[in-house]
Amino acid sequence: MLRPRVIVCLDVQDGRVVKGHQFKELRDVGDPVELAERYEAEGADEIVFLDITASHEGRGTLLDTVRRTAERLFIPLTVGGGVRTADDMAALLRAGADKVSVNSSALARPELLTEGAERFGSQCVVISVDGKRDGESWTAFTHGGRRPTGRDAVAWTVEAAERGAGEVLLTSMDRDGARSGYDLELTRAVADRVRVPVIASGGAGGASHLAEAFMEGRADAALVAGILHDGLTTVGELKAHLTAKGVEVR
Amino acid sequence: MKIALLDYGAGNLHSLAKAVERCGAEPVVTADWSVALSRDGLVLPGVGAFGAAVAALPADAAPVRERLAAGYPCLGICLGMQLLCETSEEGEGQGIGFFRGRVRRLGTSRVPHMGWNTVSHCPDPLFAGLTEPVVYFANSYVCEIDEDAAICSWTDYGDGPRPSAVRKGRTWGVQFHPEKSSEQGLTMIRNFVREAGR
Repeated sequence: MLRPRVIVCLDVQDGRVVKGHQFKELRDVGDPVELAERYEAEGADEIVFLDITASHEGRGTLLDTVRRTAERLFIPLTVGGGVRTADDMAALLRAGADKVSVNSSALARPELLTEGAERFGSQCVVISVDGKRDGESWTAFTHGGRRPTGRDAVAWTVEAAERGAGEVLLTSMDRDGARSGYDLELTRAVADRVRVPVIASGGAGGASHLAEAFMEGRADAALVAGILHDGLTTVGELKAHLTAKGVEVR
Repeated sequence: MKIALLDYGAGNLHSLAKAVERCGAEPVVTADWSVALSRDGLVLPGVGAFGAAVAALPADAAPVRERLAAGYPCLGICLGMQLLCETSEEGEGQGIGFFRGRVRRLGTSRVPHMGWNTVSHCPDPLFAGLTEPVVYFANSYVCEIDEDAAICSWTDYGDGPRPSAVRKGRTWGVQFHPEKSSEQGLTMIRNFVREAGR
């Protein structure tokens, strides 16, 4: 039986892990290689690096970080942020990423998803969607949550999966950093409409939130960041609580 | 101990190379089949698509089959396992055909089959030191194997148990990614390296 996954997300800027709140107010929380290795040892099922470096020069730093991490990490690594072309994907995969996530550039040019899937296989292509609630639905945002697209986040996710994305990283902008639980309605709305795996993201405050994401939200995986980086809990503790709640994790 | 990693020209070979290194062998990344078949063993990596990878096979795969049948150690991972079969629904062309069988697209509710799943295995040197390991998969296709005797593990992808590892002689194929399966996966790579050294 496939196990629901606990995925640890590290926001990376200029080669350091940083943590923000609702896409703002960044602070340094450590070295990406060391943190990724520590989370593998704690029992993390996967690691995600989201690069939020704005500058072009930062690409070299990111590739170097990915390379150094892949030398020591023996669980899957997804890398996203600033990926514009299939060649950008190739560079990250060659550096040691197992999957590449795309957001703004796929909304601007959805063919990118098909190109990536044909060249590397859809299991390498993750569509990252940042959704913000707007009445009864959710709007997709780009550029690190700064720019509304006017597109319905659920409809866009469905299209992205049809075009070749093999996994969905679905972030609730309303819940990001709030630790009040994942947006279960958003998660469920997407999980019920796509046939690829869905990672719930934004809002993890404790193990019960992850259990809800798996059981009510029907997510295949849950992303966790701040509560781990702040030392409020560990991956091992989260998994022990999940097991106690009847969720069979690795 | 030198283990060749075949480079089909797509995807992540870096972390596989590091895993082989961690397990005590020197990885030799190559696109040249004469190199691939003349070290201490060969790993067919699990990255890319079937059609593109077939293009990286020799026009005539018979010498490859013969070398493997003669006992040259080989481990096919994910797509690498699929390449050891005959044909695939994913793309045109013939695989190596070392295992009789074909590759079919999964028809389960979530495709790709992505994440950690249980491997129920027979006693086999590849699984030495492990019991029902839980390992990482990322596959949209699975192998239908016509040789029952070659099947050495089963995994439920969501529609009942299907073969997840095969072996004939000193050639193994695994549908999962040992290089991405933390300590249990590294144990398998270590087991392969040890078998290759025998």
